[in-house]
Amino acid sequence: MRLKAIICQVLTREFELAIARSPHSIELEALPMGLHDYGAAMRPRLQQQIDASDALGFDAILLGYALCGRGADGLTAGLTPLVLPRAHDCIGILMGGRRIHERYFESHPGVYYRSPGWIEFQKSGQSLEPAWAVARNSMGERRSREELIRQYGEENGAFLYEQFTAYRRAYSGLTYISTGVPSDAACREQARAEADANHWIFEDVPGSTWMIESLVNGEWSPEDFLVVPPGSSIRATLDEHVVAAT
Amino acid sequence: MAVSTELYEAILTGDARKAHAATQAAIDAGIGPMELISASMVPAMNEVGRLYEAEDYFVPELLLSGRAMKSAMELLRPLIAAAGLRLGNRIIIGTVKGDLHDIGKNIVASMLEGSGFEVIDLGADVAPEKFVAAVEEREPHVVCMSSLLTVTMPAMRTTIQALESAGLRHKVKVLIGGAPVTQQYADEIGADGYGDNASLAVSAVKNLCAVA
Repeated sequence: MRLKAIICQVLTREFELAIARSPHSIELEALPMGLHDYGAAMRPRLQQQIDASDALGFDAILLGYALCGRGADGLTAGLTPLVLPRAHDCIGILMGGRRIHERYFESHPGVYYRSPGWIEFQKSGQSLEPAWAVARNSMGERRSREELIRQYGEENGAFLYEQFTAYRRAYSGLTYISTGVPSDAACREQARAEADANHWIFEDVPGSTWMIESLVNGEWSPEDFLVVPPGSSIRATLDEHVVAAT
Repeated sequence: MAVSTELYEAILTGDARKAHAATQAAIDAGIGPMELISASMVPAMNEVGRLYEAEDYFVPELLLSGRAMKSAMELLRPLIAAAGLRLGNRIIIGTVKGDLHDIGKNIVASMLEGSGFEVIDLGADVAPEKFVAAVEEREPHVVCMSSLLTVTMPAMRTTIQALESAGLRHKVKVLIGGAPVTQQYADEIGADGYGDNASLAVSAVKNLCAVA
């Protein structure tokens, strides 16, 4: 098959490795990570990229995304079918499936997740955020204490900073998901250093790239992948299947 | 016209110190707590909500106005209790199990308080059993649940089911909200209402109490 893969930058290395071994011809396009921070505004941006590849004769457009806080909800297939992994976010993909993710998530509340991509591509100076944060910048959560004090005064500024960062104090761990890419060891040590610097409990868990490999190999089992036929759209069901095509 | 324009202005501008001082001055002048709430605080919170809807105010302004209102309530609550008076309808609010995000929930809680409701905030990461226990013990009119992650949204369904199993579902109205939450999801899980943002959540609670 001739396939187009539109992926989140955070999965770049994993996709590159898998694509090199795929029997299919795959064109890769990586979009900057952090689109999920735009909330619902992620959808039109992603749709724009899908539309740009729609009439180019691909057999399918593979999406290196998940539901991503509903960012993928409503994406529509034009002439070309779309294929989306069934997962809530990239952590589900990186851990090797949504069920593994859910089990880990339930037993580890208050954990930041990192992976090779989360280390390599996160912009320098960007503060550590939960992998699934859906918080628009207009909420002010990304502003520094100094910026808030400058705008709102000493007392109100300090109060706002405390409010915006309070949830971080409830976070107590940092879990690094190893995916076996060449930079894995170096990224793991960087994640460990950040955990140590913040006095978070560090855990290293083995991830899996089987979902990415299956996606680029054209092995789209209905249990784990949503194939969106031309003219249909992705709809979040939020049940065990996560998404459906309507 | 607000019975205390100083308190009205202080809440509107998010000035907690001024709100505290204006409330004390009003109390010293003999103005009753319920009159102060209905004539100054409720209009102020309504105006804050309107400004937010008009995109003149954003989340920081909501937080600051909420804080100013809370500083006024600190002085008024003991007076209300001492006089044997009751605030408006009782609301229980919390972020669901597994979810630690609470800014939106905190804003809704403070805006509800500023609108004259009695608010019991259960915090974040609230298990269904804890919601059920709170409903049993405190007999609220409305239960508000918040979630910021699609992966924790199913806990809203589980909590509603837990209320049903405990025979309490028919005794309360359930409102849900949070960035990934939608009206459609509210309908699917049998919630009574949905708030797209803090201001609309307060309106939804008012509507639910009106028909309760």
